[in-house]
Amino acid sequence: MQSIRKAVLAVALGATFVSGFSQEKKAAPPTPTVKVGDAAPDFKLTDQNGKDVSLSDFRGKKSVALAFYVFAFTGG
Amino acid sequence: MKTFQQNLSKLEASDTQVLGVSMDSPFSNKAWADKIGVSFPLLSDWGGDTTKKYGLYNQQYKAPRRATFLIGKDGKILEVQLDKEAIDPHNVVAACERHKLSK
Repeated sequence: MQSIRKAVLAVALGATFVSGFSQEKKAAPPTPTVKVGDAAPDFKLTDQNGKDVSLSDFRGKKSVALAFYVFAFTGG
Repeated sequence: MKTFQQNLSKLEASDTQVLGVSMDSPFSNKAWADKIGVSFPLLSDWGGDTTKKYGLYNQQYKAPRRATFLIGKDGKILEVQLDKEAIDPHNVVAACERHKLSK
């Protein structure tokens, strides 16, 4: 009887672990809220030299390739 | 970002300004820009407000999802590229050509 209980408990724990793990894997990546044709939200951010840069600085002057990257010191 | 630097002249020929954005500090970005030789602005979205405004905040990594937006001179989004597509700068160079961006 004792060993059956242990087996049931092990299976239940295993199932909890597996479902938890697969749930983490399934965590959906964020989807952009800004779509083609939308006005790009403006921002004012500091660059690597301490200078403030706004998207609106380029309005009417240049197109902008706005590249979001995950972390500094990584590839891509 | 290094590969964007390598394609910078092509993007500049399309009258396009490259801006990198992450949630790193300006100090990290400075050290990294110096290391890999990036001359365009790497912007610090410390706290993630801009990342969230664009819908790119990844809760799991506490960082933006990889994405490139091509924005026209009128401030409107011309193209959105994600993940692998966003990593390869040739895709945004091609997008500039599709939209006939030039000086």
